Amino acid sequence: MNTLNSVGHPSSRIDALLRVTGRADYTGDLRLPDMLYARVLRSPHPHARIRRIDLSRAQAMPGVKAILTRENCDVIWGSGDTRNQRYLFNNPVRFAGDAVAAVAAVDRHVAEEAIRAIQVDYETLPFVLDPEEALKPGAVEIQPGGNLSPNNRSERKPEVYSRGKIDDGFKAADHVFEDHYTSSHINNAQLEPRVAIAQWESDHLTVYTPTQGISNCHTEMAKDLKIPPEKVRIVCHFMGGGFGNKNQNHDFELMAAMLAKQAGVPVKLEFTRKEDFVSVHGRWPTKQYYKVGVRNDGTLTAIQLRGYSGMGPYRKGAGGIGGIEIYQCPHVERSVYPVYTNMAVSANLRAPDYPQGVFGLESLMDDVAYSLKMDPLDFRLKNMTRKFNDQVPYTSIGLEECIRRGAEAFEWKKKFHAPGEGAGPIKRGAGMAMGSFFSNMGRSSAVIDVDAQGMYHLHVGVTDVGTAAKTTMALIAAEELGVPLEKINVIWGDTARCPYSVGESGSRTTTHTGHAVVEAAKDLKRQIAEKGMPQGSDMLTASVNTNPAVVPNSARYSFVAHFAEVEVDTEAGHVRVIRYVAAHDSGRVVNPLTATSQVKGGATMGIGMALHEELLYDRASGTPLNAGYYGARVMTHLDAPEVEVLWIETEDPYGPFGAKTLGEPTIIPSVAAVANAIYNAIGKRVRDLPITRDKILGVLA
Amino acid sequence: MKAFANVNPRDLKDAVAQLQKPNAVPVGGGSDLLGMVKEHLVEPDVLVHLRAVRGLDQVSNKGGEVAIGGLITLDTLSHESLIRDNYKVLAEAAESVATPQIRNAGTLAGNVCQRPWCWYYRNNFPCFKNGGNRCFSITGENKFHAIFGGGPSFIVHPSDTAPALVALDAKFRVTGPAGDRTIPAADFFALPKANASRENVLAPAEVLASIHLPKAARGVRSTYHKVLDREAWTHAVVSAAIVLEMDQAICKSARVVLGGVAPIPWRLPKVEAMLAGQRITPELATKAGEVAVEGANPLAKNGYKIPLTKAVVSRTLLSLA
Amino acid sequence: MSKISRRRFVEGTGAGLVATAVPLKGQQQGPATATPGVPRTTIQVTVNGTRRKVEVEDRWTLVEVLRDHLGLTGSKIGCDRGECGACTVLLDGKAVYSCSQLAVWADGRSVQTVEGLAKDGKLDPLQQAFIEHDGPQCGFCTSGQLMSAKALLNRNAHPTKDEVRHAMTGNICRCSIYNRYVESVLAAAGTLSASSGRKA
Repeated sequence: MNTLNSVGHPSSRIDALLRVTGRADYTGDLRLPDMLYARVLRSPHPHARIRRIDLSRAQAMPGVKAILTRENCDVIWGSGDTRNQRYLFNNPVRFAGDAVAAVAAVDRHVAEEAIRAIQVDYETLPFVLDPEEALKPGAVEIQPGGNLSPNNRSERKPEVYSRGKIDDGFKAADHVFEDHYTSSHINNAQLEPRVAIAQWESDHLTVYTPTQGISNCHTEMAKDLKIPPEKVRIVCHFMGGGFGNKNQNHDFELMAAMLAKQAGVPVKLEFTRKEDFVSVHGRWPTKQYYKVGVRNDGTLTAIQLRGYSGMGPYRKGAGGIGGIEIYQCPHVERSVYPVYTNMAVSANLRAPDYPQGVFGLESLMDDVAYSLKMDPLDFRLKNMTRKFNDQVPYTSIGLEECIRRGAEAFEWKKKFHAPGEGAGPIKRGAGMAMGSFFSNMGRSSAVIDVDAQGMYHLHVGVTDVGTAAKTTMALIAAEELGVPLEKINVIWGDTARCPYSVGESGSRTTTHTGHAVVEAAKDLKRQIAEKGMPQGSDMLTASVNTNPAVVPNSARYSFVAHFAEVEVDTEAGHVRVIRYVAAHDSGRVVNPLTATSQVKGGATMGIGMALHEELLYDRASGTPLNAGYYGARVMTHLDAPEVEVLWIETEDPYGPFGAKTLGEPTIIPSVAAVANAIYNAIGKRVRDLPITRDKILGVLA
Repeated sequence: MKAFANVNPRDLKDAVAQLQKPNAVPVGGGSDLLGMVKEHLVEPDVLVHLRAVRGLDQVSNKGGEVAIGGLITLDTLSHESLIRDNYKVLAEAAESVATPQIRNAGTLAGNVCQRPWCWYYRNNFPCFKNGGNRCFSITGENKFHAIFGGGPSFIVHPSDTAPALVALDAKFRVTGPAGDRTIPAADFFALPKANASRENVLAPAEVLASIHLPKAARGVRSTYHKVLDREAWTHAVVSAAIVLEMDQAICKSARVVLGGVAPIPWRLPKVEAMLAGQRITPELATKAGEVAVEGANPLAKNGYKIPLTKAVVSRTLLSLA
Repeated sequence: MSKISRRRFVEGTGAGLVATAVPLKGQQQGPATATPGVPRTTIQVTVNGTRRKVEVEDRWTLVEVLRDHLGLTGSKIGCDRGECGACTVLLDGKAVYSCSQLAVWADGRSVQTVEGLAKDGKLDPLQQAFIEHDGPQCGFCTSGQLMSAKALLNRNAHPTKDEVRHAMTGNICRCSIYNRYVESVLAAAGTLSASSGRKA
């Protein structure tokens, strides 16, 4: 791979100084004159009809300026549910945490007292938490038409993918393996809780909000409020993470806008941490039934999955269960049922379909390999994908190298052993798993101005969720323009000043917006070549909207293999991850410093999903019990192992300088790698996430 | 948060007087209490800020008897050389609490008097601890609940320092409207069958002012082992505070107290008796682990605490042998 | 090793970023009128070396007063329950959760926040190391991580890796970039060994 001048060199974030001095302005840090503070009242019941809301006591409180309920606010939150009409305030309420009212007052304590003064008369309804239970006859209907959420063709059928003939695949097999797995609802738990400030200047709305995408937030806000897009401005300077739950627009932004309209002054609406945990969304819990056919020589003949995803009562997320495409196999059938339940809403969390699906799949594949007396690593090398869905060639694929070089760095041959082998109560084990993630190209925009002083002003609609997107864009611009990074000014995070960007979801910013930056830079270079550098107060501007497609009949993917070594205390049930290697093919790495950080973070997050995290529900009342960092047992400094990162930089003909996607692949195989390492250590399989102490002691008993 | 007045008492007497005001609540470091006020588990009109009283955070040594002010922070306590050298179990217990930030604020008395961290209580279910008349954990999420001494409430006592203090045979000096009284640590904590709404015998407006440790005997070895639900900042899933008085390799006497398994620090007299006069061998330690769980009565989801308790008891013992 | 030097940042020459139009940042400003019936107290706190006198509601937490009334928004509120550490400040030199302290309890005491780390336009070595070793990702936990690290280095100038992890374990990073934070602190302390240096 050729060496470049800016891209490919470790570079500190261009906004790092602001981030380490407390001067980065997050939405919660901002204040507008006369601003009110708002809080939301939420249902304590998982399913109930509201008979009456008595606001009189709240209205009488000094300092209360505006109150919203379904009575005076019928705004529909479009992106909150892609199948049904989800209002800002719903009746019936369908999960414990569904919004009932919002109050704006002179300070947050008054607002909080006011929501407590609102009296709601609920008629409680039957509820169901488990997706399989919800599909049984007689289960309470959560949305009109039943609890199986419609598929992409609006049919009340599961989402199905198949190739070959699954029965032929099982007939061709020498052995058939079957098992089932479950995964939990876990929260994104980004450090910054939701907060938005809405301000109306006549009929023009400005919303300051931590969003993963100012452009889609902008479009959705205008649509939901039924106002022209040019009358809406979205600003996000700094935001404290989201991992998929700050994409598009959200109810809190709409509520802030409606409260501000009613009160006639700006309103800041804040969520508590608990609200952020139970009222927004987390990863969908799943039940997965896998069946796999294999020949004596270890060749896969069939993979079948029937899966159920608990979506909560609103269809905000897709509910997919992914991973099968990492295997080459002639006969595949996957049916996934996205199901309404009365649990917290489920939607995107870092690689939404994958870590849980790969956990189930890779657990079973491990068992298959062990049963055939094959090294699980060799089994994967034999069966890994070579073409997408066995049909479409990849634009580049470094999966085999990820596995081989990862194994080498990890010392797989030395660490791997027969399951459960080893004397003494503390046992070590090695596990691995692999994954892939769609790295498509698509629509985005960029504008670059150059002034007479030779400064290049790069306007991009990114917000930088923590990925260093601003720095990535600056490096790409510097590279293409052939100027030092210091000559690039990035203007970001404001729809009044930035063009469309895809939004920081689907790990698309580097590829989509990065490509637009390359094209804008090329355009600007052409202009400079033609006209020379601008003089005086003149500027040259290049503005591009790009929508590249990958050449027909090819698939663009990133690939990954993770390796974990664990120590399991078989008497105490305690698991420690003691060594971790992550090998990634994301094409060319734009910024090795920040990209390596992302991998370390994604892998560590996955270890937490494997070992700890679960939103626990009281089955009798249908209410969540352990919302928050303490309850979720989120990974701490002491839990996090050193993650060693290997880059397998394949040459890819597309994307900015051949860069492929990165953010989400980092978590995909991590859960499975840890689970497989635990199996290797103790010789017993835990099939339900998270793999907690009680389950380990349970299987060992 | 609901509105309240903070008062800074001049001295203990003043604190007790302030605590007799309607709806007054004592506060030490505040880490836990403020969280409970924010969750409306406690709704005070007056917060009596005990850390304002000077001198309640000192460690003193009078002829070998050590007195510890109740308002000493856990961090200071865990670094106090007198405690580290002679009462290691207490230093280690204090050091195992939560996070550095909480240990810098949290006090010994506050840790000892901490309310339970049962999910149901913390989520405002109308349970015994919240003024109701049932325990939701019995048929609910009881993974972290009691295997000993439960009924009618099945909470576990959340304190790390409490088992250490019971193991050390500490005495608690309590000040209240009726004057001072001294209570042996073991008698300070109360089982739910005695009073399901509280965890100890403190009367209204009484304050845990100081804690007194008996003179450290020669040959004493002690330690605290805590199993957490991640590597930091959880309460004990199971913990063991063990104090052994050794004569060379022979254990003259033992005090063995568990945390995380019962509504009070759970002393194991039968284990203590079997250790007295014995050499601590791996075999004896294993046997002690087995005896430790005799009479355990697990709920649906906390049966794993039985093998875990066995392991914790035997390993903690062996670490002192 | 990194392309952006401290010199450039501090002198504010090369731009790198253009912040867009910003509303007022949490400057010193209380609610227009006191809420009736809510007890208030005037306190004096030394904040980052400057004595500040402020009238507070007794129920206000220290972080609320720092952020909403003293204009110091570097300390963040991530959980407001002492579970995440984003609000960590030094109170009389010790790291505490400022969400779990009432402002009235800080009366007469000294508080250091992230805004007090840099002195005379010169970054604290920790801040410099956080920049070079890519400590912050989303950055929301960063101020708290810095203050826990500062408390550690104040009492132990040359910590081991394990000492760093223990001292900072009360600070959650959901981007989970713990490796980078530890690396940064060791670098600032000059104890980052060659073997634990970044491989990137």
